[in-house]
Parts: sequence; C-alpha cells; structure tokens
Amino acid sequence: MSDTPLVPPSSVVLVSGGSRGLGLAIVTDLLDAGVKVAAFARTVTPELAKLADTYPDRVHVGTVDVTDLSAAQAFLRAAEERLGPVDGLVNNAAVGQDSMHTHTSTADIARIVETNLTAPLQLTRLVVRRMLGGGRRGRIVNITSICAQRGFPGLVAYSATKGGMDAATRSLARELGGRVLVNAVAPGFFASEMSAVLGSTQLDQIVRRTPTGHLTEPAEVVPVVRMLLREHTNINGQVIVVDGAASV
Amino acid sequence: MNELSRAHIRDLMSQVLANQGRVLPDDDAADLREIGFRSLDFSELALRVEDATGEELNFDAPGLRRIATVGDVLDFLESLQRQ
Repeated sequence: MSDTPLVPPSSVVLVSGGSRGLGLAIVTDLLDAGVKVAAFARTVTPELAKLADTYPDRVHVGTVDVTDLSAAQAFLRAAEERLGPVDGLVNNAAVGQDSMHTHTSTADIARIVETNLTAPLQLTRLVVRRMLGGGRRGRIVNITSICAQRGFPGLVAYSATKGGMDAATRSLARELGGRVLVNAVAPGFFASEMSAVLGSTQLDQIVRRTPTGHLTEPAEVVPVVRMLLREHTNINGQVIVVDGAASV
Repeated sequence: MNELSRAHIRDLMSQVLANQGRVLPDDDAADLREIGFRSLDFSELALRVEDATGEELNFDAPGLRRIATVGDVLDFLESLQRQ
C-alpha cells in the first residue's frame, strides 16, 4: 500500500442549490448523518430555513445565485467562519431546459451554460483553492445527469453542460492527485421536477424501458452522494449512474 | 415587427407538407398525427415564418406539446409573433 493518506470523510459540506428537490434531500441526509452543511440557493425555501432553525450549530444557509462568483465566495468565507473549513462540495445547482435547440434563444443557451457548467467549475476552483491552500484533503460530488450519456430531445444545451461536468470530474480527479476525490452522480429522470419538462409519452416510455419499473427518486440518489462524501471506497473520477438500468 | 397573416402561415404550412408529398387539409380541426405533421415539421414552419418576418421565434416545448390540430399550429404561431 502507498504512503498516500486516505482522504477523510467530509465533515463540512457545501451544497449548491440546496433549497429544494435533490439538493434539499442531500442537505437533509447529510445533517441526519451528523455532517455540518453550508447550503445556498437563489431562494432559501421554508424547508431549508427550517433545517437551519433545527440545527443552528451545524447549518449555514444563504441566498446566492451560483452564477454570482463574488457572492459565492463571500458565502463560502462566512460558512467557514461559522462551521469550520469546508472539506466537501456538492455541485447541485442547475437550471433545466425544455426547448428544441433551434428554438432556444441564444440568451437561454448562454444562461444554461453559465449556470450548469461555468458556475460549478468556478465554485469548484474556489473550494479547491481553499482546501489546498489550507493543507486539507477533501471530496467533491458533481450532480450530473443521464442526459450526459444518452440523447433526449429538448435538452441539447442542458446535456452539453452535464457532459462537460462529467468530463471535468475525470480530469479533476487526475489533476488533484488523490488529495481531493472527485466523482459525479448521474441520476435518471426524477418523477418530479426535471421530469416535468418531458411529455407523458416520453416519461411512460422511460418507465417501460426501466428494469426496476420506476423513475429515480431523490431518496435513491442521496445514499450514493453520502457514500462518496463519507465512505472509504477508493472511487475517484467516476460517474455513477442511478437510473434503475434504464440507460443500460 | 412584420407579422404574417394566418393565411400566409397556412400557405407556408402547406409548402412544408407539399415538400413531403402531403396535402394540408382545409379543415383547421384536422389532426396533425393523421396528416403526419411532426415536431420537426413545426420547427421547419417556424423557421420559414422567421425567414419571412426577420424575427426569431423561440419557444419552450410544453406549448408545442399542446398542439394537436392545424388550427392549433396557426394559433400558436400567430401568438408567438405577437410576443
């Protein structure tokens, strides 16, 4: 065995887009596991505010648009002052799409790329700089999508950004040399939220083609995220698909 | 904005179908599935309207999914031009 020390389980995790859906489920699950969590979103929902009230010593929440780099930086500093050094990051914030590429405005394409690709790369840079600068090890989990690996109409720009994050996951894992573990979790379509952008015919088709017979639920994704943040597995640079084998 | 009339849009729709050897029925209630007018055909029609007006027509898919008849197509494109 090499002398490279293991990356310890993350104890302070920053979650972007933590106010609803999968992000909120991840925040809740990590808190249940005893982890300190800093979560931001464009809007702090009552659900996230309630978590902050319930765990005042372990939660730091704030209203931040992930594309606002200086706001994200200020949030990170404030979170570290309150909770301690961040040693885990979940890049979850993203915007969806439901429009044919030819009829998606150039402004919308730019917004999707900025939110889903540029912003998480910038946030990752911020967090990694603080981890390395502080002599710490850490873990990063990028929430991507099955769209990064399979084609779906109406999701061209969205798919491109998720594919970009999958690629960045692999390169970051190599670049960070085992000091920071970097992985991605790629859920299939959720019954709610993102799936609202698919037609019922498309959804029925996906369910029929899914061996487990149901669409992915956030509750089925959070244990995988928690494992990547907390367990010693030697998984690094991987994209773990959680879709009931719909894409296999 | 140079807005196309409903009749002009109908004429363009007819051309899209004619290129595929199909005929556009006179009845606005005609079902798009029955005449084989698919989403990409709608896209082609919207791009032809754009060409004629010089204005981009961008829209989300949910509106498109509600379209079922020839009349729906014409209504949708008319309303898009006014946005």
